Amino acid sequence: MADADKAALDPQWAWARYAPDARRPWTLALTGHLFRRAAFGASWPQLQRALAEGPQKTLDGLLRPTADVAAFNQQFDHYETPPGDDRNAAELRAWWLQRMLRTPHPLHEKMTLFWSGHCAASNARADSAPAMQRHLQLLRRHALGDYRALLAGLVRDTALFATHNAKANRKAQPNPGLPRWLLEAHLGAAAAPDLNEAARAFTGWFIYNDELRFIEREHDAGAKKIFGRTGNFDGDEVARLVLEQPAAAATLVRKLYRWLISETAAPAEELLAPLVAAYAQNYDTLALVETMLRSNLFFSPAAYRQRVKNPVEYALVIIMGLESSAATQPLANALANLGQNLLSPPTSKGWSGGRDWLNPATVAGRLKLAEALLRDGPFIESSNPAAVAQKNGQPAAAFFAQLYLQDETLARGDSDARRAAFAALSQPEFQLA
Amino acid sequence: MRTRFLVGVGLLTLMGTGWAESAAQALPAQAVAALEIFQPRAVLGPLLEPATRTALAATPALQRSTSKPGYQQFLGVVQALETQLGADWPTALQKLTGRGVALGLYPQERALFVADAEDAPLLGKLHALLWNMTQNQAALSGKPSPATSLPLGGAMAYSLGKNEAHVIQGGRLTWAKKLEDLEAAAQALRQNGSLATAPAYQAARKAVSADAAGMLFLNMQALKLAPGVAKAFKPESGNPLGALIFAGLGETAGAANWIALGLHVKPHGLELRLVSDAPVPAAQSPAAFALPTAPTEGALPNLKVPRQLAALSLYRDLHRFYAAKDQLFPERTSGLIFFENMMGIFFSGRDLTDDVMAQAQPNVRFVAAQQQFDPAAGTPVYQLPAFAIVLQLRHPEKFREYVEEAWQKAIGLASFTRGQRAEPGFILDRALHGGVPFTFARFSTAYAKDPARLDVRYNFRPALAMPGNQLIFASTDGVARDVMDALAREGQQPQAPLAQIHGVLELEGGKVAAALRANRDFMVRQNMLKGGEVKSNEEQIDGLIGLADFIRTARLTTGAQGAKLDVDFNWPPPAAKLASTP
Repeated sequence: MADADKAALDPQWAWARYAPDARRPWTLALTGHLFRRAAFGASWPQLQRALAEGPQKTLDGLLRPTADVAAFNQQFDHYETPPGDDRNAAELRAWWLQRMLRTPHPLHEKMTLFWSGHCAASNARADSAPAMQRHLQLLRRHALGDYRALLAGLVRDTALFATHNAKANRKAQPNPGLPRWLLEAHLGAAAAPDLNEAARAFTGWFIYNDELRFIEREHDAGAKKIFGRTGNFDGDEVARLVLEQPAAAATLVRKLYRWLISETAAPAEELLAPLVAAYAQNYDTLALVETMLRSNLFFSPAAYRQRVKNPVEYALVIIMGLESSAATQPLANALANLGQNLLSPPTSKGWSGGRDWLNPATVAGRLKLAEALLRDGPFIESSNPAAVAQKNGQPAAAFFAQLYLQDETLARGDSDARRAAFAALSQPEFQLA
Repeated sequence: MRTRFLVGVGLLTLMGTGWAESAAQALPAQAVAALEIFQPRAVLGPLLEPATRTALAATPALQRSTSKPGYQQFLGVVQALETQLGADWPTALQKLTGRGVALGLYPQERALFVADAEDAPLLGKLHALLWNMTQNQAALSGKPSPATSLPLGGAMAYSLGKNEAHVIQGGRLTWAKKLEDLEAAAQALRQNGSLATAPAYQAARKAVSADAAGMLFLNMQALKLAPGVAKAFKPESGNPLGALIFAGLGETAGAANWIALGLHVKPHGLELRLVSDAPVPAAQSPAAFALPTAPTEGALPNLKVPRQLAALSLYRDLHRFYAAKDQLFPERTSGLIFFENMMGIFFSGRDLTDDVMAQAQPNVRFVAAQQQFDPAAGTPVYQLPAFAIVLQLRHPEKFREYVEEAWQKAIGLASFTRGQRAEPGFILDRALHGGVPFTFARFSTAYAKDPARLDVRYNFRPALAMPGNQLIFASTDGVARDVMDALAREGQQPQAPLAQIHGVLELEGGKVAAALRANRDFMVRQNMLKGGEVKSNEEQIDGLIGLADFIRTARLTTGAQGAKLDVDFNWPPPAAKLASTP
């Protein structure tokens, strides 16, 4: 029986820990797969170390790194000072990309990126870099923590209110903006009666000078009936009620499945049921992510190359492979041109992802970006693919095929390292995560 | 073989015979640029002093280099050489270069380096040691030796590796990357003579004066053949601010056949004199707006204010400058239409060139100073220096209110624009200083959430003051008050203009370092976004701060006859400051 079929039928097998054996060995291809999903790619030495250490030990490091993550975050928090009264979030985007490139805990930033898409907070609407910075800090703080705490923060988050056209929530005219996001993002749909009542619960919140303020006299203190329950609910309580709905955990698990495992086929309810049940207990995101990443299903063909790389993944995988640093202000602009403008998703539902990332213009743009990353230029001051290949002691074509595609049979190009690397990055397989 | 013999004879003739007065005698005449140190001991001496070496060794960058594994190996080689040569490396270096060194740059990225040793046997000994080390190392590793030699007439040229070739004639070492480069150099010397005898080089040598310790020579005729360089000297490449500040420099460089920078070593200081053979711009030239007309005219001495970082005084006829805009920056004039329209609004329809610029006398002064913030009122998270521009009005009694009106319109427009974005605007205020009423605008701190980390905008409290015939535009009321005090002092003891000088820039290194130190985090974070590790970015910025600390004062004067830069150092370099990481 093929693994994909087995996964569809047998949740127990799917979510059991993957243990390599002769039939399903731990290969370079699977290490590449793991680093594409749980990080932003890897250097050749990282891939080799992971290959030697095996999947579970590698995952230990990705889930709970021994490096001093707190010191790293402290250093970055120190330099990533508030952007003053700047309305432009360009620097903030650049800082975030720097974190993604340098963090000793890339999974954490990867999950921050996931929640950013989930919330869809946008500076195009918030028009406030400080508010976006606070939003990002909130996502980062709870990215792998208790989702209930994250949502409690989100329903008090200036950037989210502004994004969802909820700068003023008057008693006389309840604003459905934020409750609509809350219901749709967690339950899939917002039924009119619940939405109207939830909007009443959020009355009293206003944004003044980029800060969210509660004005008591504008709050509707009357009883509201939401999800069949009646009470004098406020916004915080609506968020709690949402997470008590059975559909909430299921929606979040399904989103995360799409992020970490596959976006090509919708998973069966039975397959996700054990994860949903566990997540609904305590909304422990790290535990959920850990289950998914350690699973047989994750290391099966049902997950392998079953996602399209988003532009951030596309660029960062290249840079990580080159073992290089990068100037992230121009990079953030280039990624925006490819459809992923960090901190400014296109709609209130975030980025749709999947095949939508690819069209003739973006594919051409991706190749142009890849070519630019392989030479000295605005992104990398001194890009030296030849040195990377030479350091790792392999002929260029074979090396870059293994580094970026984990498949030597896809080696193209000649001994010129730059051309060989570009040949690897031009393969259709490289568009997939 | 015959060709090589002739080449060797050429080298022998021009490099080795009769002690050359100048190391540049071994450089062919066609150099695009050359650096010659006539008095190496004067230049190297201060750098090799034990106190200087200690200070430099304490710099983070050097400490990082010395902590690398390869450094110990390098140190071992140096110590072995010292033992074999019988001299420590600073002594050996001085003996090996004591009679002069020269570096010549040629087309196709060729370079020649010449050193005239005081101690010729020591040079021979060093060569023999390196030759033997190369041979032994190859033998030990079982590889063929990269060391080769080539007879060049009566001399031998040697190569110790892929990118090294040298020839020693008496006490003179001539070094190039390739043996072919040495051959080509000898041929060029034979055919075209040496740089030292080239008329342009000799004229430059004479112009930088006999007491110069060194000279950088630029062959402008050769340099201008490069398309990028030629374009840089075309007027349309300039921008208005550059044309105003660097008036005449572009024209001088464009008209010069050569430019030379003479290096003069003083106790704990350096003096650089820029000279060229370019003619003084004609009175009708577009650059003439920076030429003092009468022999006694020139830029005014700089103003002195408390906590001053830098001061600049220029002789610039703004009316002539703006009237010549179509010649000075023709590609930018269309872009200036917006600027002129705005000025038309501020100055109520007056013509910018004839009615506004013509009101200013040709003296423009600028000061930049560190700010002092009252912690009770708040301190910005990034502390920018305050600055002020001072002009002299021809008809202050008539023009004063026009300026006041224009300035208040500009502040009002800024407030209105901010207000459209729901941002706080300026509060206009009026104050009296030394009997002079002046206007300033400020942001209210009532909005401030954290007084210790105020927004960048709190660095600005724009002010306009007009004591007597002076017009002061200042970024803060504080510096405006300091400038008014400086002008009052100047009024009591008037100083004559600096005759025929059209620009004076003065810097105080310690104050600049303090300003940089106050914004260290800001600079580190900007560098971090360009890539690189946090630590290396921090070291880079600390190095810059250390360099500023090393300079006590710097003074650049420019005039029709050339330019002069005087730099006084805190000598030896302040080790503690260089090594410190705030």
